[in-house]
Amino acid sequence: MMQSQIVSRPRYRDLAAEDTAGAHLLIVEGDTLAAGQMAALATAFAVVAERLQTWLVSAPATALAPGRVRRLHTVEEARTALEHIEDGFGIADRLYLQGTEPFMWSLATAAGRAGLSPTQIRMQHAGSLKRRVWCTHCHQTTENVTTNIATCAGCARALLVRDHFSRRLGAFMGVMVDAEVPGEVPQREEVFR
Amino acid sequence: MSLVFKPEETFRGDYSYRNSDAAILRFPFPFPEDRYMYSVNIEPHVRSGPTDAFCRPFDIDEHYIAECRDRALTLELDPGRCQVLPHMMAAQWDTLELLMENLAADYPEQFSLTKEGDVFGSRWTWINRPLGIEQHFIFGDPDTLPCEPFEYITRQAQGDFAICDQREDNLYLDAGMITSQADWSLAFNVGMNFMEWHGPVPLAHQAGVFERALKYLLMLRLGQPVRRLNWTMSINPRLDTSPESYPEWGPDRASVTVENAGGKVHLRVELQTLWRLPRSNAILFPIRCFLISIEELARVPKWGKRLYRVLSSLPPELAEYKGLTRYLPATLAWLAPLDDGAQLATGIGPDITELAPL
Ligand code: HEM
Repeated sequence: MMQSQIVSRPRYRDLAAEDTAGAHLLIVEGDTLAAGQMAALATAFAVVAERLQTWLVSAPATALAPGRVRRLHTVEEARTALEHIEDGFGIADRLYLQGTEPFMWSLATAAGRAGLSPTQIRMQHAGSLKRRVWCTHCHQTTENVTTNIATCAGCARALLVRDHFSRRLGAFMGVMVDAEVPGEVPQREEVFR
Repeated sequence: MSLVFKPEETFRGDYSYRNSDAAILRFPFPFPEDRYMYSVNIEPHVRSGPTDAFCRPFDIDEHYIAECRDRALTLELDPGRCQVLPHMMAAQWDTLELLMENLAADYPEQFSLTKEGDVFGSRWTWINRPLGIEQHFIFGDPDTLPCEPFEYITRQAQGDFAICDQREDNLYLDAGMITSQADWSLAFNVGMNFMEWHGPVPLAHQAGVFERALKYLLMLRLGQPVRRLNWTMSINPRLDTSPESYPEWGPDRASVTVENAGGKVHLRVELQTLWRLPRSNAILFPIRCFLISIEELARVPKWGKRLYRVLSSLPPELAEYKGLTRYLPATLAWLAPLDDGAQLATGIGPDITELAPL
Protein backbone atom coordinates (compact mmCIF):
# COMPACT_ATOMS: atom_id res chain seq x y z
CA MET A 1 0.00 0.00 0.00
CA MET A 2 2.98 2.39 0.11
CA GLN A 3 2.72 3.31 -3.59
CA SER A 4 -0.36 3.81 -5.72
CA GLN A 5 -1.32 5.24 -9.09
CA ILE A 6 -1.89 8.61 -7.44
CA VAL A 7 1.31 10.56 -7.96
CA SER A 8 0.77 13.29 -5.36
CA ARG A 9 1.81 10.58 -2.89
CA PRO A 10 5.44 11.32 -1.97
CA ARG A 11 8.09 8.69 -2.52
CA TYR A 12 10.60 8.16 0.26
CA ARG A 13 14.14 6.90 0.02
CA ASP A 14 16.75 5.67 2.47
CA LEU A 15 18.58 8.62 3.96
CA ALA A 16 22.12 9.34 2.84
CA ALA A 17 24.11 12.36 3.97
CA GLU A 18 24.90 14.86 1.25
CA ASP A 19 28.38 16.19 1.62
CA THR A 20 27.43 19.88 1.44
CA ALA A 21 29.32 22.52 3.40
CA GLY A 22 26.39 23.55 5.61
CA ALA A 23 24.88 22.24 8.80
CA HIS A 24 23.15 18.86 8.81
CA LEU A 25 20.16 18.22 11.01
CA LEU A 26 18.76 14.71 11.38
CA ILE A 27 15.47 14.30 13.23
CA VAL A 28 14.38 10.80 14.11
CA GLU A 29 11.08 9.67 15.54
CA GLY A 30 12.57 7.54 18.31
CA ASP A 31 9.80 5.10 18.98
CA THR A 32 9.88 3.94 15.34
CA LEU A 33 13.52 2.86 15.58
CA ALA A 34 13.95 -0.78 14.78
CA ALA A 35 17.00 -2.73 15.88
CA GLY A 36 20.12 -1.88 13.89
CA GLN A 37 18.60 1.22 12.31
CA MET A 38 20.65 3.71 14.30
CA ALA A 39 23.83 1.90 13.33
CA ALA A 40 22.78 2.20 9.68
CA LEU A 41 22.17 5.92 10.15
CA ALA A 42 25.56 6.38 11.82
CA THR A 43 27.19 4.85 8.75
CA ALA A 44 25.07 6.88 6.35
CA PHE A 45 26.02 10.13 8.13
CA ALA A 46 29.69 9.40 8.82
CA VAL A 47 30.87 11.83 6.09
CA VAL A 48 29.22 14.81 7.78
CA ALA A 49 29.60 13.65 11.39
CA GLU A 50 31.34 16.90 12.46
CA ARG A 51 28.59 19.08 11.11
CA LEU A 52 25.73 16.84 12.23
CA GLN A 53 23.13 17.40 14.90
CA THR A 54 20.66 14.63 15.65
CA TRP A 55 17.38 15.26 17.42
CA LEU A 56 15.80 12.20 18.92
CA VAL A 57 12.11 12.68 19.46
CA SER A 58 10.37 10.48 22.04
CA ALA A 59 13.24 8.01 22.01
CA PRO A 60 14.16 5.61 24.82
CA ALA A 61 16.76 7.28 27.08
CA THR A 62 19.27 4.61 26.17
CA ALA A 63 19.13 5.27 22.42
CA LEU A 64 22.41 6.41 20.91
CA ALA A 65 22.80 8.54 17.80
CA PRO A 66 25.51 10.04 15.59
CA GLY A 67 26.58 13.69 15.84
CA ARG A 68 25.63 16.09 18.61
CA VAL A 69 22.50 14.66 20.17
CA ARG A 70 19.50 16.55 21.48
CA ARG A 71 16.54 14.80 23.07
CA LEU A 72 12.98 16.07 22.65
CA HIS A 73 9.79 14.64 24.05
CA THR A 74 7.16 15.33 21.45
CA VAL A 75 6.78 16.28 17.80
CA GLU A 76 5.27 19.63 18.91
CA GLU A 77 8.42 20.37 20.88
CA ALA A 78 10.50 19.54 17.81
CA ARG A 79 8.35 21.82 15.65
CA THR A 80 8.80 24.72 18.01
CA ALA A 81 12.54 24.11 18.19
CA LEU A 82 12.77 24.05 14.38
CA GLU A 83 10.85 27.28 13.99
CA HIS A 84 13.15 29.01 16.48
CA ILE A 85 16.41 27.61 15.19
CA GLU A 86 19.19 30.14 15.77
CA ASP A 87 20.31 32.12 12.69
CA GLY A 88 17.75 30.29 10.50
CA PHE A 89 18.90 28.08 7.64
CA GLY A 90 21.46 28.61 4.85
CA ILE A 91 21.27 27.18 1.35
CA ALA A 92 23.92 24.53 2.04
CA ASP A 93 22.04 23.23 5.08
CA ARG A 94 20.14 19.95 4.96
CA LEU A 95 17.31 18.54 7.01
CA TYR A 96 16.84 14.76 7.18
CA LEU A 97 13.71 13.24 8.64
CA GLN A 98 12.91 9.69 9.61
CA GLY A 99 9.63 8.46 10.99
CA THR A 100 5.96 8.09 10.20
CA GLU A 101 4.37 10.34 7.58
CA PRO A 102 2.45 12.54 10.05
CA PHE A 103 5.69 13.05 11.99
CA MET A 104 7.82 13.92 8.97
CA TRP A 105 5.33 16.28 7.38
CA SER A 106 4.64 18.12 10.64
CA LEU A 107 8.34 18.91 10.76
CA ALA A 108 8.75 19.57 7.03
CA THR A 109 6.01 22.22 7.07
CA ALA A 110 7.54 23.81 10.19
CA ALA A 111 10.94 23.86 8.46
CA GLY A 112 9.30 25.47 5.43
CA ARG A 113 8.02 28.27 7.63
CA ALA A 114 11.53 28.64 9.05
CA GLY A 115 12.81 29.26 5.50
CA LEU A 116 14.02 25.86 4.35
CA SER A 117 13.16 24.99 0.76
CA PRO A 118 11.70 21.56 -0.09
CA THR A 119 14.87 20.78 -2.07
CA GLN A 120 16.85 20.88 1.20
CA ILE A 121 14.74 18.24 2.93
CA ARG A 122 15.15 14.44 2.70
CA MET A 123 12.78 11.90 4.15
CA GLN A 124 12.82 8.23 4.96
CA HIS A 125 9.68 6.52 6.07
CA ALA A 126 9.96 4.33 9.16
CA GLY A 127 7.50 2.75 11.53
CA SER A 128 3.76 2.63 11.13
CA LEU A 129 1.96 3.50 7.89
CA LYS A 130 -0.72 5.33 9.89
CA ARG A 131 -2.07 8.44 8.21
CA ARG A 132 -3.30 11.90 9.02
CA VAL A 133 -6.59 12.35 7.16
CA TRP A 134 -8.08 15.69 6.12
CA CYS A 135 -11.85 15.73 5.71
CA THR A 136 -12.95 17.40 2.47
CA HIS A 137 -16.31 18.24 4.05
CA CYS A 138 -15.52 19.82 7.44
CA HIS A 139 -11.76 20.41 6.84
CA GLN A 140 -10.76 18.89 10.20
CA THR A 141 -7.92 16.39 10.47
CA THR A 142 -8.06 12.95 12.04
CA GLU A 143 -4.79 11.50 13.37
CA ASN A 144 -3.39 7.97 13.53
CA VAL A 145 -5.67 6.45 10.90
CA THR A 146 -4.82 2.84 10.09
CA THR A 147 -8.01 1.79 8.29
CA ASN A 148 -9.25 2.30 4.71
CA ILE A 149 -12.36 3.94 6.14
CA ALA A 150 -12.10 6.28 9.11
CA THR A 151 -14.58 8.17 11.25
CA CYS A 152 -13.92 11.90 10.94
CA ALA A 153 -12.92 13.47 14.26
CA GLY A 154 -14.66 16.68 13.14
CA CYS A 155 -17.99 15.69 11.58
CA ALA A 156 -18.22 11.94 12.36
CA ARG A 157 -18.80 11.03 8.70
CA ALA A 158 -17.34 7.74 7.48
CA LEU A 159 -14.45 8.80 5.24
CA LEU A 160 -12.82 6.80 2.50
CA VAL A 161 -9.08 7.46 2.85
CA ARG A 162 -7.72 8.28 -0.60
CA ASP A 163 -4.08 8.25 -1.68
CA HIS A 164 -4.23 11.92 -2.75
CA PHE A 165 -1.76 13.72 -0.49
CA SER A 166 -1.18 17.35 0.44
CA ARG A 167 2.32 18.24 1.59
CA ARG A 168 1.08 21.54 3.02
CA LEU A 169 -1.41 19.74 5.27
CA GLY A 170 0.76 16.63 5.67
CA ALA A 171 -2.45 14.72 5.17
CA PHE A 172 -4.36 12.39 2.88
CA MET A 173 -7.78 13.27 1.56
CA GLY A 174 -10.84 11.74 3.19
CA VAL A 175 -14.15 11.69 1.30
CA MET A 176 -17.54 10.60 2.65
CA VAL A 177 -17.84 6.98 1.62
CA ASP A 178 -21.63 6.64 1.69
CA ALA A 179 -22.70 10.04 0.34
CA GLU A 180 -24.47 8.51 -2.67
CA VAL A 181 -26.31 5.79 -0.80
CA PRO A 182 -26.42 6.57 2.94
CA GLY A 183 -25.43 3.57 5.01
CA GLU A 184 -23.68 1.78 2.15
CA VAL A 185 -20.31 1.53 3.92
CA PRO A 186 -17.83 -1.15 2.87
CA GLN A 187 -16.03 -3.30 5.44
CA ARG A 188 -13.32 -1.45 7.38
CA GLU A 189 -9.92 -3.00 6.97
CA GLU A 190 -6.68 -2.20 8.68
CA VAL A 191 -4.47 -1.38 5.71
CA PHE A 192 -2.08 1.28 7.07
CA ARG A 193 -0.55 -0.62 9.96
CA MET B 1 -24.64 38.25 -30.52
CA SER B 2 -27.36 39.94 -28.51
CA LEU B 3 -27.61 38.71 -24.93
CA VAL B 4 -30.92 38.11 -23.21
CA PHE B 5 -30.22 37.11 -19.65
CA LYS B 6 -32.33 34.72 -17.56
CA PRO B 7 -31.75 36.19 -14.10
CA GLU B 8 -34.26 33.95 -12.31
CA GLU B 9 -32.57 30.68 -13.23
CA THR B 10 -31.23 28.47 -10.44
CA PHE B 11 -28.41 25.94 -10.14
CA ARG B 12 -29.67 24.43 -6.86
CA GLY B 13 -32.99 23.76 -5.16
CA ASP B 14 -35.50 23.59 -8.01
CA TYR B 15 -32.74 23.61 -10.68
CA SER B 16 -34.65 25.79 -13.12
CA TYR B 17 -31.59 26.25 -15.39
CA ARG B 18 -32.33 25.49 -19.07
CA ASN B 19 -30.62 26.24 -22.40
CA SER B 20 -32.31 28.21 -25.18
CA ASP B 21 -32.05 26.87 -28.75
CA ALA B 22 -29.26 29.37 -29.42
CA ALA B 23 -27.38 28.24 -26.30
CA ILE B 24 -27.64 24.60 -27.39
CA LEU B 25 -26.27 25.36 -30.86
CA ARG B 26 -23.28 27.27 -29.46
CA PHE B 27 -22.41 24.57 -26.92
CA PRO B 28 -18.73 23.52 -26.87
CA PHE B 29 -19.35 19.83 -27.51
CA PRO B 30 -16.09 18.08 -26.61
CA PHE B 31 -15.98 14.99 -28.85
CA PRO B 32 -14.55 15.24 -32.39
CA GLU B 33 -14.53 11.45 -32.69
CA ASP B 34 -16.55 8.44 -31.52
CA ARG B 35 -13.97 7.54 -28.89
CA TYR B 36 -12.35 9.55 -26.14
CA MET B 37 -9.05 9.31 -24.34
CA TYR B 38 -6.87 11.89 -22.55
CA SER B 39 -4.38 13.72 -24.75
CA VAL B 40 -2.48 17.02 -24.82
CA ASN B 41 -5.45 18.68 -26.52
CA ILE B 42 -4.15 22.25 -26.49
CA GLU B 43 -4.71 24.73 -29.35
CA PRO B 44 -4.39 28.52 -29.77
CA HIS B 45 -7.30 30.43 -28.22
CA VAL B 46 -8.22 32.45 -31.31
CA ARG B 47 -11.41 34.35 -32.09
CA SER B 48 -12.91 31.48 -34.05
CA GLY B 49 -13.88 27.90 -33.44
CA PRO B 50 -16.34 25.13 -34.13
CA THR B 51 -19.17 26.84 -32.19
CA ASP B 52 -19.76 30.38 -30.97
CA ALA B 53 -18.73 29.53 -27.39
CA PHE B 54 -15.08 29.44 -28.49
CA CYS B 55 -15.05 32.80 -30.22
CA ARG B 56 -14.31 35.34 -27.49
CA PRO B 57 -11.44 35.51 -25.01
CA PHE B 58 -13.88 35.43 -22.06
CA ASP B 59 -17.31 34.13 -22.90
CA ILE B 60 -20.52 35.52 -21.40
CA ASP B 61 -23.90 33.95 -22.17
CA GLU B 62 -27.59 33.98 -21.19
CA HIS B 63 -26.75 32.41 -17.81
CA TYR B 64 -24.41 35.23 -16.72
CA ILE B 65 -26.53 36.90 -14.04
CA ALA B 66 -27.81 33.66 -12.54
CA GLU B 67 -24.31 32.20 -12.47
CA CYS B 68 -22.83 35.22 -10.68
CA ARG B 69 -25.61 34.95 -8.11
CA ASP B 70 -24.91 31.25 -7.59
CA ARG B 71 -21.23 32.04 -6.99
CA ALA B 72 -22.17 34.67 -4.41
CA LEU B 73 -24.37 32.10 -2.61
CA THR B 74 -21.57 29.55 -2.51
CA LEU B 75 -19.07 32.11 -1.23
CA GLU B 76 -21.46 33.15 1.51
CA LEU B 77 -21.67 29.53 2.69
CA ASP B 78 -17.95 28.85 2.26
CA PRO B 79 -15.63 31.89 1.86
CA GLY B 80 -12.68 29.46 1.51
CA ARG B 81 -13.65 28.87 -2.14
CA CYS B 82 -11.63 31.97 -2.93
CA GLN B 83 -8.03 31.79 -1.76
CA VAL B 84 -5.02 33.83 -2.75
CA LEU B 85 -1.55 33.32 -1.33
CA PRO B 86 0.10 36.60 -0.23
CA HIS B 87 2.74 36.79 -2.99
CA MET B 88 0.05 36.88 -5.72
CA MET B 89 -0.98 40.56 -5.57
CA ALA B 90 0.58 41.47 -8.93
CA ALA B 91 -1.19 38.50 -10.53
CA GLN B 92 -4.47 39.68 -9.01
CA TRP B 93 -4.20 43.04 -10.77
CA ASP B 94 -3.10 41.33 -13.98
CA THR B 95 -6.28 39.26 -13.88
CA LEU B 96 -8.53 42.20 -13.16
CA GLU B 97 -7.05 44.15 -16.06
CA LEU B 98 -7.26 41.27 -18.53
CA LEU B 99 -10.89 40.56 -17.70
CA MET B 100 -12.07 44.15 -17.64
CA GLU B 101 -10.38 45.06 -20.91
CA ASN B 102 -11.67 42.02 -22.76
CA LEU B 103 -15.20 42.11 -21.41
CA ALA B 104 -15.51 45.82 -22.20
CA ALA B 105 -14.19 45.28 -25.74
CA ASP B 106 -16.36 42.26 -26.56
CA TYR B 107 -19.58 43.23 -24.78
CA PRO B 108 -19.78 47.05 -24.99
CA GLU B 109 -23.52 47.05 -24.24
CA GLN B 110 -22.91 45.29 -20.96
CA PHE B 111 -19.53 46.50 -19.71
CA SER B 112 -17.36 49.59 -19.98
CA LEU B 113 -13.96 50.57 -18.70
CA THR B 114 -12.47 54.07 -18.72
CA LYS B 115 -9.03 55.06 -17.56
CA GLU B 116 -8.26 58.64 -16.57
CA GLY B 117 -5.85 60.56 -14.42
CA ASP B 118 -2.12 61.07 -14.45
CA VAL B 119 0.28 59.73 -17.09
CA PHE B 120 -0.40 56.14 -16.12
CA GLY B 121 -4.16 56.57 -16.33
CA SER B 122 -4.62 54.79 -13.04
CA ARG B 123 -8.06 56.18 -12.16
CA TRP B 124 -10.40 53.55 -13.56
CA THR B 125 -14.16 53.44 -13.85
CA TRP B 126 -15.76 50.04 -14.36
CA ILE B 127 -19.39 49.72 -15.31
CA ASN B 128 -21.15 46.36 -15.23
CA ARG B 129 -24.72 46.96 -16.42
CA PRO B 130 -26.18 43.43 -16.01
CA LEU B 131 -25.17 43.40 -12.33
CA GLY B 132 -25.81 47.12 -11.80
CA ILE B 133 -22.27 48.01 -10.71
CA GLU B 134 -20.36 51.28 -11.18
CA GLN B 135 -16.96 51.23 -9.49
CA HIS B 136 -14.34 54.00 -9.36
CA PHE B 137 -10.95 52.81 -8.19
CA ILE B 138 -7.22 53.32 -8.50
CA PHE B 139 -5.54 50.53 -10.45
CA GLY B 140 -2.90 49.05 -8.12
CA ASP B 141 -4.49 50.24 -4.88
CA PRO B 142 -6.51 47.41 -3.30
CA ASP B 143 -7.99 49.74 -0.69
CA THR B 144 -10.07 51.42 -3.40
CA LEU B 145 -12.04 48.21 -4.13
CA PRO B 146 -14.64 46.54 -1.88
CA CYS B 147 -12.51 43.36 -1.78
CA GLU B 148 -9.19 42.16 -3.23
CA PRO B 149 -8.92 42.61 -7.02
CA PHE B 150 -9.03 38.90 -7.95
CA GLU B 151 -12.16 38.23 -5.93
CA TYR B 152 -13.68 41.49 -7.13
CA ILE B 153 -13.46 40.72 -10.83
CA THR B 154 -14.08 36.97 -10.69
CA ARG B 155 -17.35 37.55 -8.82
CA GLN B 156 -18.40 39.27 -12.06
CA ALA B 157 -17.32 36.58 -14.51
CA GLN B 158 -18.64 33.17 -15.50
CA GLY B 159 -16.51 30.14 -14.70
CA ASP B 160 -13.83 29.33 -12.16
CA PHE B 161 -10.38 30.90 -12.15
CA ALA B 162 -7.04 29.60 -10.94
CA ILE B 163 -3.73 31.44 -11.01
CA CYS B 164 -0.53 29.45 -11.23
CA ASP B 165 2.74 30.97 -10.12
CA GLN B 166 5.69 29.85 -12.24
CA ARG B 167 8.97 29.00 -10.47
CA GLU B 168 11.55 26.18 -10.41
CA ASP B 169 10.27 24.99 -13.82
CA ASN B 170 6.91 24.16 -12.36
CA LEU B 171 3.49 25.74 -11.84
CA TYR B 172 2.01 26.26 -8.37
CA LEU B 173 -1.69 26.62 -7.66
CA ASP B 174 -1.37 29.77 -5.58
CA ALA B 175 -4.76 31.41 -6.10
CA GLY B 176 -8.25 30.36 -7.04
CA MET B 177 -11.90 31.35 -7.22
CA ILE B 178 -13.45 27.91 -7.38
CA THR B 179 -17.22 27.59 -6.94
CA SER B 180 -18.22 25.41 -9.89
CA GLN B 181 -15.61 22.66 -9.90
CA ALA B 182 -15.88 19.07 -11.00
CA ASP B 183 -15.18 17.54 -7.60
CA TRP B 184 -11.79 18.89 -6.51
CA SER B 185 -10.97 20.93 -3.46
CA LEU B 186 -9.17 24.27 -3.62
CA ALA B 187 -8.54 24.16 0.14
CA PHE B 188 -6.72 20.84 -0.29
CA ASN B 189 -4.89 21.74 -3.49
CA VAL B 190 -3.78 25.31 -2.86
CA GLY B 191 0.02 25.58 -3.08
CA MET B 192 0.46 22.27 -4.94
CA ASN B 193 2.51 21.94 -8.10
CA PHE B 194 1.25 20.79 -11.51
CA MET B 195 2.03 17.09 -11.00
CA GLU B 196 0.72 17.03 -7.42
CA TRP B 197 -2.68 18.58 -8.11
CA HIS B 198 -3.10 16.28 -11.12
CA GLY B 199 -2.19 13.31 -8.88
CA PRO B 200 -5.59 11.58 -8.91
CA VAL B 201 -6.07 11.59 -12.72
CA PRO B 202 -5.77 8.00 -14.02
CA LEU B 203 -3.76 6.85 -17.08
CA ALA B 204 -2.64 10.32 -18.19
CA HIS B 205 0.56 10.45 -16.08
CA GLN B 206 1.63 7.08 -17.39
CA ALA B 207 0.97 8.23 -20.99
CA GLY B 208 3.23 11.28 -20.50
CA VAL B 209 0.33 13.70 -21.01
CA PHE B 210 1.11 15.88 -17.98
CA GLU B 211 4.84 15.98 -18.60
CA ARG B 212 4.29 17.30 -22.14
CA ALA B 213 1.51 19.66 -21.10
CA LEU B 214 3.66 21.22 -18.37
CA LYS B 215 6.60 21.71 -20.73
CA TYR B 216 4.30 23.47 -23.17
CA LEU B 217 2.79 25.73 -20.51
CA LEU B 218 6.12 26.84 -19.09
CA MET B 219 6.79 28.38 -22.52
CA LEU B 220 3.39 30.05 -22.83
CA ARG B 221 3.78 33.56 -24.23
CA LEU B 222 2.12 36.85 -23.47
CA GLY B 223 -0.66 37.63 -25.96
CA GLN B 224 -0.83 34.04 -27.22
CA PRO B 225 -3.42 32.32 -25.05
CA VAL B 226 -4.27 28.67 -25.61
CA ARG B 227 -7.34 26.56 -24.84
CA ARG B 228 -8.49 23.00 -24.25
CA LEU B 229 -11.72 21.20 -23.42
CA ASN B 230 -12.31 18.96 -20.47
CA TRP B 231 -15.57 17.21 -19.65
CA THR B 232 -17.45 15.18 -17.09
CA MET B 233 -21.11 14.65 -16.19
CA SER B 234 -23.33 15.99 -13.43
CA ILE B 235 -26.74 15.08 -12.13
CA ASN B 236 -28.92 18.20 -12.31
CA PRO B 237 -27.58 21.52 -13.61
CA ARG B 238 -25.53 22.09 -10.49
CA LEU B 239 -22.50 24.38 -10.55
CA ASP B 240 -21.26 23.59 -7.04
CA THR B 241 -20.17 19.98 -7.37
CA SER B 242 -17.30 20.42 -4.94
CA PRO B 243 -16.05 17.71 -2.59
CA GLU B 244 -17.03 20.07 0.23
CA SER B 245 -20.70 19.78 -0.69
CA TYR B 246 -20.61 16.16 -1.95
CA PRO B 247 -22.86 14.98 0.91
CA GLU B 248 -25.55 17.26 -0.61
CA TRP B 249 -25.27 16.29 -4.27
CA GLY B 250 -23.92 12.73 -3.98
CA PRO B 251 -27.39 11.16 -3.44
CA ASP B 252 -28.55 12.58 -6.81
CA ARG B 253 -26.26 10.09 -8.53
CA ALA B 254 -28.34 7.24 -7.14
CA SER B 255 -31.60 8.84 -8.36
CA VAL B 256 -31.08 8.35 -12.11
CA THR B 257 -33.40 6.00 -14.01
CA VAL B 258 -33.83 5.31 -17.72
CA GLU B 259 -37.04 7.37 -17.56
CA ASN B 260 -35.55 10.50 -15.94
CA ALA B 261 -32.01 10.41 -17.38
CA GLY B 262 -32.82 12.79 -20.24
CA GLY B 263 -33.54 15.73 -17.98
CA LYS B 264 -31.34 14.81 -15.02
CA VAL B 265 -28.05 13.76 -16.58
CA HIS B 266 -25.99 16.71 -17.79
CA LEU B 267 -22.86 16.87 -19.86
CA ARG B 268 -20.50 19.27 -18.13
CA VAL B 269 -17.89 20.82 -20.39
CA GLU B 270 -15.06 23.07 -19.30
CA LEU B 271 -13.59 25.42 -21.85
CA GLN B 272 -10.23 26.02 -20.23
CA THR B 273 -7.96 28.78 -21.40
CA LEU B 274 -4.43 29.63 -20.37
CA TRP B 275 -3.02 33.17 -20.30
CA ARG B 276 0.46 34.42 -19.50
CA LEU B 277 0.08 37.45 -17.22
CA PRO B 278 2.26 40.51 -17.92
CA ARG B 279 3.50 41.79 -14.53
CA SER B 280 3.57 38.62 -12.45
CA ASN B 281 4.61 36.17 -15.19
CA ALA B 282 1.99 33.86 -13.66
CA ILE B 283 -0.52 31.84 -15.72
CA LEU B 284 -4.23 32.56 -15.46
CA PHE B 285 -6.39 29.46 -15.92
CA PRO B 286 -10.06 30.31 -16.44
CA ILE B 287 -12.32 27.25 -16.38
CA ARG B 288 -15.57 28.19 -18.12
CA CYS B 289 -18.20 25.57 -17.29
CA PHE B 290 -21.07 24.77 -19.70
CA LEU B 291 -23.95 22.53 -18.62
CA ILE B 292 -26.47 20.82 -20.91
CA SER B 293 -28.98 18.05 -20.21
CA ILE B 294 -28.60 15.06 -22.52
CA GLU B 295 -32.18 15.72 -23.65
CA GLU B 296 -31.18 19.22 -24.81
CA LEU B 297 -27.93 17.94 -26.29
CA ALA B 298 -29.71 15.24 -28.30
CA ARG B 299 -31.63 17.92 -30.19
CA VAL B 300 -28.43 18.06 -32.24
CA PRO B 301 -28.64 14.56 -33.78
CA LYS B 302 -24.90 14.26 -34.37
CA TRP B 303 -24.15 15.04 -30.73
CA GLY B 304 -26.68 12.59 -29.28
CA LYS B 305 -25.30 9.72 -31.35
CA ARG B 306 -21.72 10.63 -30.70
CA LEU B 307 -22.23 10.95 -26.95
CA TYR B 308 -23.68 7.44 -26.92
CA ARG B 309 -20.66 6.08 -28.78
CA VAL B 310 -18.13 7.85 -26.55
CA LEU B 311 -19.82 6.79 -23.31
CA SER B 312 -20.29 3.20 -24.38
CA SER B 313 -16.59 2.86 -25.23
CA LEU B 314 -15.18 4.93 -22.36
CA PRO B 315 -12.22 3.31 -20.55
CA PRO B 316 -13.55 2.09 -17.18
CA GLU B 317 -10.81 3.99 -15.30
CA LEU B 318 -12.13 7.27 -16.73
CA ALA B 319 -15.75 6.42 -15.94
CA GLU B 320 -14.77 5.59 -12.36
CA TYR B 321 -12.61 8.71 -11.93
CA LYS B 322 -15.34 10.98 -13.30
CA GLY B 323 -17.88 9.38 -10.94
CA LEU B 324 -20.18 8.08 -13.72
CA THR B 325 -20.20 4.40 -12.83
CA ARG B 326 -23.44 4.35 -10.83
CA TYR B 327 -25.63 6.03 -13.44
CA LEU B 328 -23.85 5.18 -16.69
CA PRO B 329 -26.06 2.15 -17.51
CA ALA B 330 -29.28 4.21 -17.26
CA THR B 331 -27.70 7.01 -19.31
CA LEU B 332 -26.62 4.61 -22.04
CA ALA B 333 -30.06 3.01 -22.11
CA TRP B 334 -31.59 6.47 -22.58
CA LEU B 335 -29.16 7.38 -25.38
CA ALA B 336 -29.04 4.04 -27.21
CA PRO B 337 -32.24 4.45 -29.29
CA LEU B 338 -30.82 7.68 -30.78
CA ASP B 339 -27.91 5.95 -32.46
CA ASP B 340 -28.81 4.59 -35.89
CA GLY B 341 -25.19 3.63 -36.57
CA ALA B 342 -24.74 6.25 -39.31
CA GLN B 343 -21.19 7.47 -39.94
CA LEU B 344 -20.63 10.84 -38.23
CA ALA B 345 -18.45 13.62 -39.59
CA THR B 346 -15.21 14.21 -37.68
CA GLY B 347 -15.20 17.44 -35.66
CA ILE B 348 -17.27 18.91 -32.90
CA GLY B 349 -19.57 21.35 -34.71
CA PRO B 350 -23.33 20.62 -34.67
CA ASP B 351 -23.46 20.48 -38.53
CA ILE B 352 -26.93 22.12 -38.43
CA THR B 353 -27.90 25.78 -38.09
CA GLU B 354 -31.32 25.38 -36.55
CA LEU B 355 -32.90 22.90 -34.16
CA ALA B 356 -36.01 20.98 -35.14
CA PRO B 357 -38.96 22.37 -33.14
CA LEU B 358 -39.77 20.38 -30.00
C1 HEM C 1 -2.29 25.04 -15.53
C2 HEM C 1 -3.52 25.03 -15.17
C3 HEM C 1 -4.27 23.79 -14.77
C4 HEM C 1 -4.90 23.61 -13.58
C5 HEM C 1 -4.96 24.62 -12.42
C6 HEM C 1 -5.50 22.30 -13.61
C7 HEM C 1 -6.20 21.74 -12.54
C8 HEM C 1 -6.78 20.50 -12.54
C9 HEM C 1 -7.45 19.91 -11.41
C10 HEM C 1 -7.57 20.56 -10.04
C11 HEM C 1 -7.92 18.70 -11.79
C12 HEM C 1 -8.69 17.72 -10.90
C13 HEM C 1 -7.77 16.70 -10.29
C14 HEM C 1 -8.44 15.91 -9.18
O1 HEM C 1 -9.09 14.88 -9.46
O2 HEM C 1 -8.32 16.30 -8.00
C15 HEM C 1 -7.55 18.52 -13.17
C16 HEM C 1 -7.87 17.42 -13.94
C17 HEM C 1 -7.37 17.20 -15.21
N1 HEM C 1 -6.49 18.02 -15.90
FE1 HEM C 1 -5.83 19.83 -15.34
N2 HEM C 1 -5.23 21.70 -14.80
C18 HEM C 1 -4.48 22.58 -15.55
C19 HEM C 1 -4.01 22.36 -16.81
C20 HEM C 1 -4.17 21.20 -17.52
C21 HEM C 1 -3.63 20.97 -18.83
C22 HEM C 1 -2.82 21.96 -19.65
C23 HEM C 1 -3.98 19.72 -19.20
C24 HEM C 1 -3.60 19.09 -20.52
C25 HEM C 1 -3.45 17.87 -20.77
C26 HEM C 1 -4.78 19.16 -18.10
C27 HEM C 1 -5.38 17.91 -18.08
C28 HEM C 1 -6.22 17.43 -17.10
C29 HEM C 1 -6.96 16.17 -17.21
C30 HEM C 1 -6.95 15.20 -18.38
C31 HEM C 1 -7.70 16.04 -16.03
C32 HEM C 1 -8.71 14.93 -15.68
C33 HEM C 1 -10.07 15.49 -15.98
C34 HEM C 1 -11.24 14.53 -16.05
O3 HEM C 1 -11.12 13.40 -16.54
O4 HEM C 1 -12.36 14.94 -15.67
N3 HEM C 1 -4.86 20.09 -17.11
N4 HEM C 1 -6.85 19.63 -13.60
